[in-house]
Amino acid sequence: MTAPSDTAVRRSGRITRIPWFDGLQFFLLVGGLIYLAVAGASAFNYNWQWYRIPRLLYREVDGEFMLGPLIDGLFVTFELSAWALPLSIAVGLITALLRRSDSFAGRYLASGYLQVIRNTPILVQVYIFYFVVAPIFGLSPFWACILALSFHEGSFTAEIFRSGIESVPKGQWEASDSIGLTRYEKYRHIVLPQAVPLMLPPLTGQVVTLIKHSSILSAVAIFDLTTMALDLIAETFMAFEIWLTTGAIYIVVTGTLSIVVGLFEVRIRRRGAR
Amino acid sequence: MSNAEPMTRARPPARRRLKVTLLDAVLIVAAVAFVAYLVYRVNAYLVYHWDWGRLLQYFFYYDPDQDQWVANLLIEGLLITARTSLWAMVFASIFGLVMGLCRVSHVALFRMIARGYVEFVRNMPPVPFLFILFFFVGNQLLKPLELTELAQAAPPYVQDVIVLLFGELNLLRNFSAAVIALALYEGAYITEIVRAGLLSIERGQWEAGDSLGLSRTSQLRYVILPQAVQRIAPPLANQFIQLIKDSALVSLISIQELTFMGNEIAVSTTRFFETWLIVAAMYFGVCYGLARLFARMERRMNRGRM
Repeated sequence: MTAPSDTAVRRSGRITRIPWFDGLQFFLLVGGLIYLAVAGASAFNYNWQWYRIPRLLYREVDGEFMLGPLIDGLFVTFELSAWALPLSIAVGLITALLRRSDSFAGRYLASGYLQVIRNTPILVQVYIFYFVVAPIFGLSPFWACILALSFHEGSFTAEIFRSGIESVPKGQWEASDSIGLTRYEKYRHIVLPQAVPLMLPPLTGQVVTLIKHSSILSAVAIFDLTTMALDLIAETFMAFEIWLTTGAIYIVVTGTLSIVVGLFEVRIRRRGAR
Repeated sequence: MSNAEPMTRARPPARRRLKVTLLDAVLIVAAVAFVAYLVYRVNAYLVYHWDWGRLLQYFFYYDPDQDQWVANLLIEGLLITARTSLWAMVFASIFGLVMGLCRVSHVALFRMIARGYVEFVRNMPPVPFLFILFFFVGNQLLKPLELTELAQAAPPYVQDVIVLLFGELNLLRNFSAAVIALALYEGAYITEIVRAGLLSIERGQWEAGDSLGLSRTSQLRYVILPQAVQRIAPPLANQFIQLIKDSALVSLISIQELTFMGNEIAVSTTRFFETWLIVAAMYFGVCYGLARLFARMERRMNRGRM
């Protein structure tokens, strides 16, 4: 066991080790790119108005602290994602189970749903939910968006559940068959305890995808962070400042989540290796 | 298990046979009930009058002046979608190949650049990403190039070729900015595909190259890439389908592709239901068809290898 892991560490060590000099070059390069962007903007007389940005994040009126429109938008983004996450997990789980079921109707329904979602753009799905499904069932725009997002992400979670369940070795299924477990007992005691740890990191990664995809909802009337940015640009004409601020907010949120997911993944993999 | 025990309880090998279970019955009843409820809501509650015929003219219409059938908005939009996707795929493949090679480079700086690029795109939502790049690329990088003026100064037959390849001359800058923005977005995913393909080649191949005295470039050029290309091709084809779907997003930056046209038609005719269902069906046809085609090509490729 020691020999292969030793070489693996050495090999990966060579790939991930970062000499400080390259780090310096990298930061100089990024700095140069930012400088070029700023210089290019001032070249065609762009009037930078960064001082107006903090007001869009928070305000203090008579000593009272108030959130600005961009942060309000961020909370709507969180709200949409928070509703869509459990729903997409439910959709994905049902789809994955139906695909593995004995029922031909279940298999057709599940694969039909997956094909339709996978072969149409998410933007068109959002329009369909907003302009077609919502009026038919009398849904509010907010719920139409959540459903669009849930059904879209559900196709990804279905895939996560499928690969998790299928990664359980065949011998485990046969062993549980041979001791006469029912289907429920088989999933409950043998398959899921082994599959769930494998599913957890990609499922948490879905949160990042959800927040990213929720920006597409700005195409319809929903007041998430991207919509707020678009509205503010229309009002103030500060396209560069507002887009860069919005981008930075998204990067901070999703980057933090990505790092957490990465740590989680390493931990689960280490526990699995033990 | 002793041999004396009768094997009557052993189940026959699982065979796919059409068998109706309780779940089937429940699902079929639920699906039928759902469709019935849907029809009831549309016809009785909304009293919606379907008018598919009116939308047919948006595929082709008869022009009495030219005395022939002319492609209308939906077909035009589909062609612009195809044009955008093809160009974006070309550039995305170039970005992806270069960045993928950087990703496995021995030089830490290159690895950091590629990693930074991939992580940036992965953590950035597509809509702000497209808008930011569209503004930066369109306003700063492409404006001084004066593509439109350049194209308008060209002789007419060159202009015809440009219109065929890139669309209307006065929209040239918007189109190229959108293509580059889309290509940079998809390029990050192709980077990871290229990286996975390169890393999937066994170490022995690199070492064999080493022992032949090949430089690292020659190893890549003659030993690794020819093998990696076969493993990269199938996921790359799937990424192309993904790109066609993501190209719908450039409708938000006013590129007049299929989704944009759908919006126009839906607003001008107020036939929202029919328009969006048709647009979705068109995307589905293209993407599903391509997916089947690519799957068949992959099967044939695998058979050829064996």
